[in-house]
Amino acid sequence: MIEFKDTIIGYTSPLLEIENMCLETGNVYVLIGKNGIGKSTFLRSINGEINPIQGEIQIGGQISNKLSNSARAKTLSFTAAGFKGIPFLSTYDYVALGRTPHTGVLGRLNDVDQEQIRQALESTGISHLTERYTDQLSDGERQLATIAKSLAQQTPVILLDEPSAFLDYLNKRTLIQTLLRIAAEENKCIVLSSHDLDICLEVGAPILLVDQRLRKIYTAEENASKASVIQRAFGIE
Amino acid sequence: MLVLCIWHLNAGQLGIGIGEFWTAIIDGGNSTHEIIAREFRIPRMLTAVVAGGGLAVSGMIMQTLFSNPLAGPYVLGISSGSSLFVALCTMTGIPLLQSNLGIVGGAFIGALVFGGIILFFSFFIRSSVSLLLVGLMLGSFTGSLISILEATSSAGELKSFTMWTMGSLQNVQFSDLTLLLSIYLPSLLLLVVLVKPLNALLLGEQEAQQLGLNIKMVRISCIAVTALFTGLITAFCGPIAFVGLAVPNVSRLIFRTQNHWILLPANLLIGASFILFGDILIQLLESTVILPINVFTSLLGAPIVIFIILKRMK
Repeated sequence: MIEFKDTIIGYTSPLLEIENMCLETGNVYVLIGKNGIGKSTFLRSINGEINPIQGEIQIGGQISNKLSNSARAKTLSFTAAGFKGIPFLSTYDYVALGRTPHTGVLGRLNDVDQEQIRQALESTGISHLTERYTDQLSDGERQLATIAKSLAQQTPVILLDEPSAFLDYLNKRTLIQTLLRIAAEENKCIVLSSHDLDICLEVGAPILLVDQRLRKIYTAEENASKASVIQRAFGIE
Repeated sequence: MLVLCIWHLNAGQLGIGIGEFWTAIIDGGNSTHEIIAREFRIPRMLTAVVAGGGLAVSGMIMQTLFSNPLAGPYVLGISSGSSLFVALCTMTGIPLLQSNLGIVGGAFIGALVFGGIILFFSFFIRSSVSLLLVGLMLGSFTGSLISILEATSSAGELKSFTMWTMGSLQNVQFSDLTLLLSIYLPSLLLLVVLVKPLNALLLGEQEAQQLGLNIKMVRISCIAVTALFTGLITAFCGPIAFVGLAVPNVSRLIFRTQNHWILLPANLLIGASFILFGDILIQLLESTVILPINVFTSLLGAPIVIFIILKRMK
């Protein structure tokens, strides 16, 4: 689904080299690396906001930074960290905004849209919160709501920047497990950045390792030990 | 909830109905002249509806666009822009500019120019408080420029400008009203197209863009609509403060939603009711003292805004 060809990313100067690889649907890829090393830049490059310095990133065969606004909205959903909720914006209305790329000029929700919203709420397990305002949700619930919005958007690729930050251990686990189930059931390609190495290793999600010494992103071997991942990502023996 | 919305909408409409009714009685008490009703009462009532609704909707658009519940055409200096250009028109002594059309054109261009300035600053200034401060500075700056103009103009010109800043709904005549309505009503229809982008803008510009919106186009249309409404209303009624700031917040509090399909009619109705109510009070006091509408809107609007700020602190 997401294919990297001799890609080097960065704003003006090269920041990270990316291994030639292809991220497939049905998987949750976890990006592990130091703060400030370029995890967000990586996600934003996939999103096509930042042009790669060299090479290209293809999403389903199309070059990501050449997608039109409306084509991007139907291919990629990107959720930055730290949605704090908005007073008087109900969870239902918030998730419904995910349908924006699919509705007409007036933004009316038809039966298909409403069904998609209902399904998104159901698979994230927040159907009981539809009437609640987004600023009154708990951190965990709000994070699930942002994922429901991405699901409602019906994009094959879902990018999440540190979705598990600010969550307690239980919520972190629930979130990752929900994402794994959604990726498998709905055939999505989910890429997220995270600092929760333990949980991610435990559930066996493939790890995209940002090697701090080589300045390179590559997939860690399937049976990579925690120590070796930490050593390469954070430089701690 | 839908029932509640409909009920609310009806209640709003009824509010306007009562307002109309009231004003009719107040004047009707003195005489039963149909001419008064046709030439003064109805234009004045319609002007109140247009002014209140237009300013409230402008405020709503500004608040969503800048993700800031304290934004509005007055605080962001857009009304000041209108004032400055009207001052230029009335006090330069060129007859064409002093005509009605000149004043309306001036007010609109002024609003557009200052809307553009705020838009320009909004690209660099992420903090919403800073942006409001820039708006306030623009206001003080134009205030000084207007004072300079006033100091150098003739007594007659000064008088006509001062009359204008005193802002009143009663100066609007039937011919003005046709112009007012012929611009207002079509733009209101165009606004319907902005509802979907405004809803997406709630999540901020970045997210809205991710949802497929053409942000540049949306920004420009939002500013243009606001400038058009503010300019138009300011031209005819003088600068009116706080409606654009307070009414959208009141609408959100009453309807407890962020959906612009509900907020748009809500603002139109509550804004109109607000000005109608104010104008009723002004007419009640007319026998003792003549007050500009701005006095009332500030008197009631300022406490509402303080209340909203206090509520947000919690």
